[in-house]
Amino acid sequence: MAGETDGVEIVARRAKLVRGALTGWGALMYVFLFAPVLLLILLSFNDNRYGSFPITGFTTKWYSSVLQSPDLQTAIKTSLLIAAEVTAISTVVGTAAAFPLVRSRLRFRSALRVAFTVPIMIPGVLIGVSLLSFFSNVLNLQLTTQTAVIGQSIYTTPYVLLIVAARLEGFDRGLERAASDLGANAFQRFRRIVLPLIGPAIFAGSLFAFTMSLDEFVITYFIIGAQITLPIYIYTQIKFGITPAINAVATILIVGSLGIAAVGGGVPRLMRMVSRWVQRLLRARRARLADAGLT
Amino acid sequence: MEASATHLINAPGPAGGAVKGTRLGALSRLSQYLGFAPAAALYGVFFAAPMVIIVMYSFWTQNGYSIEARWTFENYQSIFSTAVYVDTFLTTLWMTAAATFATLAIAFPFAYWLARYVSRRWQRPLLFLVIVPFWVSYLLRVTSWTIILGNNGGLAHLLGIFGLSTPSWFLYDRPAVIFVLTYLYFPYAALTLFAALERFDWRQLRAARDLGATQTRALRTVMLPQIRPGVTTAVIFVFIPILGEYLTPQLVGGTRGVMIGNLVDNFFEEAQFAQGATVAVLIAAVVVILLVVFRRSLEVGEMYGR
Repeated sequence: MAGETDGVEIVARRAKLVRGALTGWGALMYVFLFAPVLLLILLSFNDNRYGSFPITGFTTKWYSSVLQSPDLQTAIKTSLLIAAEVTAISTVVGTAAAFPLVRSRLRFRSALRVAFTVPIMIPGVLIGVSLLSFFSNVLNLQLTTQTAVIGQSIYTTPYVLLIVAARLEGFDRGLERAASDLGANAFQRFRRIVLPLIGPAIFAGSLFAFTMSLDEFVITYFIIGAQITLPIYIYTQIKFGITPAINAVATILIVGSLGIAAVGGGVPRLMRMVSRWVQRLLRARRARLADAGLT
Repeated sequence: MEASATHLINAPGPAGGAVKGTRLGALSRLSQYLGFAPAAALYGVFFAAPMVIIVMYSFWTQNGYSIEARWTFENYQSIFSTAVYVDTFLTTLWMTAAATFATLAIAFPFAYWLARYVSRRWQRPLLFLVIVPFWVSYLLRVTSWTIILGNNGGLAHLLGIFGLSTPSWFLYDRPAVIFVLTYLYFPYAALTLFAALERFDWRQLRAARDLGATQTRALRTVMLPQIRPGVTTAVIFVFIPILGEYLTPQLVGGTRGVMIGNLVDNFFEEAQFAQGATVAVLIAAVVVILLVVFRRSLEVGEMYGR
């Protein structure tokens, strides 16, 4: 009998050990994930003009140099313009294709779904060189930002498609039928029923496309001609030694992205959590004050 | 009456209720595919056609800096009979396999922890944190590691405390490429594995233990079969993109860390279209074969639907 309780205890102790080890591993993975990111942020305030170690002092001059560098500003502007076009194209094309992918009577639905991941899975180099050959050897087109927009759309559209399709899958068609029974026409059904329900997925997909486009280098580099996007600017900087201004841009970008995500809804939930926590703290404090007879 | 009711229920598309005559029926049957039209145009012209051209190039003849429409197998023969190219191909395969294995090996305990030991309300924020590094430029995440791993970097300082120096065989060689690729693809693997583990009912493990199974046996015979599709998806979705990587090898690989994607890039930079196209076709072939072989066990929706 006593031996049995010992066994249970040993098992419990081992379970606790496993749990502790795994929690440690989880924490270590976050360190691993964020070490390079935090390093960039740290170096963006470093006085060292090579954008690397050692730390020589605190400065914000790299941030003001970002505002003064015309090349960098042109690159950012080009990147944003391309990203806007790419987002528009992939949102429309991807959302339109998600409907028949989920709803039509397809025989090879799962095969088609995997086929739509091919442009994501196929190495960017291949999309780059094939489009380069196509544009310059077959169509004899001048390489511009517009050719880059096409190349990036090839790569970003599947993300929108797959995200919207996943949402449509869990969509209750009965809602549309009910609306139809109540006299709503096709447009009204789409506007009042379908769009509000899949809207978040479309938004998430387009956000995804936008951020993917902003960071796309491989495809773009082959087919943009003489134009310069932000990743291409960063690439040329890296080739000639990193300047700290790039670290500043990276810091601005990650703060900006977090801002976009906040609009997207990740942070409102976090805020709610924080506010609940603060409320609980206040309540506890009030209770303690009441206990002390101060109110 | 009943028949028409079921018909209505099964009717496709938002306009599906209008199925009456056969002509209208045919029209609506066609219209249900209308949404594919823009995608078909985009991918037909700018994805399929260029790929066909690359395949054609791989069978054409290189003439100086241009390519001629004379059909030949010579490109493939020359690639397969040149030791450097064959070596690069084989090296790429084992480096990709090593990076994929390392990624899953570190992501699995992480996903297991997140799915099993973290409370529901913390899972979402913690998953969100996994994606945040994606918002830092790919290029900068890679170069940040060169700063950390470099001679003057943080790791050198850390090792210096113990009187050690950074190993010279690491950075600008194959180990650095594998390490950085593991870093870059960790989030993909972690998210996919988490999606698989999230659905697992942990009580089954305890049940297996109560019935006398050892921990290892319970994990292997009860959990593994249930999460296998997720693991397959993670392996494929990490292996394939890494196979075609050329930027990371270029930035941290030095001369020995070159991968097959770099060959394509180099050939095209030197206007050797035929050979570049041949290597490109070989990569594409591996990718498509892997996707076709594993198409049934891939959980594409799981990967992107969250």
